[in-house]
Amino acid sequence: MKRWARWFPAALALLLLVLSVYPLWATGYGVRVMLQLFMWIALAQSWNLISGLTGYVSFGHVAFFGMGAYTTAILVVKGVAWPLAAVAGGVMAVVLAFVIGWPCLRLKGPYFAIAMLGLNEVLRVMASYFEGLTGGGLGLSLPTLDASVRIYYAMGLVALAVTAATYVIVTSRFGLRLMTIREDEVAAEAMGIDTFRYKIYAFLLSAAAPGIVGGLAARDMGYIEPISVFPLVTTITMIVMVLFGGKGTIWGPVLGAVILFTFQELVWANFPHAHQILLGGIIVAVVLVMPRGILGVLQQRYNLPRTV
Amino acid sequence: MTPHITPVMLGQVIVSGLLAGALYAMVALGLGLIFGVMRVLNVAHGPLLMLGAYITYFLFITVGLNPYLSLLVSMPIVFVIGVALQHFLVRRVVDAPELSSLLLTFGISIALVNVAQLAFTSDLRSVEFITGAFLVGPFAFSKARVIACLFAAAITALAFLFLQKTRLGKAIRAVSQSREVAQVCGIDVHRIHMLAFGMASALAAAGGSLMTVMIAIQPEMGAVYTFKSFLVIVLGGAGNYPGALLGGLLLGLVEQLASLFLTTQVNEAVAYVLLVLVLLLRPTGLLGGRST
Repeated sequence: MKRWARWFPAALALLLLVLSVYPLWATGYGVRVMLQLFMWIALAQSWNLISGLTGYVSFGHVAFFGMGAYTTAILVVKGVAWPLAAVAGGVMAVVLAFVIGWPCLRLKGPYFAIAMLGLNEVLRVMASYFEGLTGGGLGLSLPTLDASVRIYYAMGLVALAVTAATYVIVTSRFGLRLMTIREDEVAAEAMGIDTFRYKIYAFLLSAAAPGIVGGLAARDMGYIEPISVFPLVTTITMIVMVLFGGKGTIWGPVLGAVILFTFQELVWANFPHAHQILLGGIIVAVVLVMPRGILGVLQQRYNLPRTV
Repeated sequence: MTPHITPVMLGQVIVSGLLAGALYAMVALGLGLIFGVMRVLNVAHGPLLMLGAYITYFLFITVGLNPYLSLLVSMPIVFVIGVALQHFLVRRVVDAPELSSLLLTFGISIALVNVAQLAFTSDLRSVEFITGAFLVGPFAFSKARVIACLFAAAITALAFLFLQKTRLGKAIRAVSQSREVAQVCGIDVHRIHMLAFGMASALAAAGGSLMTVMIAIQPEMGAVYTFKSFLVIVLGGAGNYPGALLGGLLLGLVEQLASLFLTTQVNEAVAYVLLVLVLLLRPTGLLGGRST
């Protein structure tokens, strides 16, 4: 345990160093792949913040991704610099989260889950409907720009920031409050925790990164349309990554994202439906057999600290 | 953009809304039944509806079976699927935190939809069985929708009769009121859960079968009905079975009125705004339900 605690930060620093100089010698394809991995880490971590920590399942987290993508694309077309536009995407995603969270998080039970399930569909319909702003079903084309390397750093930064934020939250009183809500909301209220307030905080935090990442992805793709930025499968993938890695942990979502993304790139991308059947199967299997995920099992077996 | 709206158009829309509402009410009763009996929200409810639709479609295409008669096949098949899902999977998470049951049924739903996509492709399919409309005075009502509404009303009435009058129905209601007390009274709770899940699945399948005659079907058609059914039980009040009837009719009406005054494109958005409004203003439902 002690030895582990000593080499882990060192290995992490080394990994970050390698990743920060990676674009200097990598091919364009390599940079794009890593950038997508960063995107998945940021998305999985964000889902973990609300669903892993408070136990409130978000079935529509891709809505924030799409919101960020559209905000950014519209602003970029109007001439705003893309990093600024991506931040605006994050802000709009947080605003959307507030609008949805305010009515739905006051209640216990599955209201929030279902509201999130519908949100994504509604946004997709709206994006097609308001043609003047979004280009409707035809989509929006962004001016061409070769910014892969800069987007690589931006994505990496977001992934790092969400992971760091998760570390800070899990090791703080705020995180303990969230986890108390997850374990027993009535008991949490009895202990004087304003559960509604903390659920809203967690939800707003969890919407920010998907918004920014959605904006960066829109800039990277150069073209967006309703079906490309609101796909249900993105939400599914986020959920599987977190469940597989270990929900409610700090490094579980990262682990899940790396493993799943690697397999996805190598094998499954060629079989879209079989791939999704497998994702559904993994969710069922993990919930029934390994509810704490890989990291949860490792924590238990090797007696690792809770803050892993 | 809004055309001049005449009283005849308004009347037409109100009746169409009620016709659609009867179908919503039947499907939602199924979702509400599972939710009431074991506090599980079945995200796979819509995909089970989709299975019912495909059973009817293939029976019509291959052996030319009357789509309304195929209810006698689709409902039992999906009933058995529902019982199996409950027995092998859902049973294990009934007592777990709701995160588990939500995720589990979500996983089942993804698997069902994609198996259907693999097996049946994503093509839109439809059954041309009854076309045309009944003409009553100045009104015209799609024959398929009127018949679907009648079947839905009959099936819903039978389901209520079963819940109110039979011993098994009483046992289901007892379990949904208090599982512990029901158990003490000698009710086999696991069996009741299986029965409730099967019955709910059959109600969803009936909805799918009836829709096959009205609209084109495809594997992803289900998700929106999970959402709408939930909206219906929220409108009526969770755990309040008659409330589901009112909620269904209300949803059908609001959707049709919205498509008259706005456009049909915003249909889903209207249902969504309705859900958020009800959660904000009257979270216990219009008739009031058990709090969760």
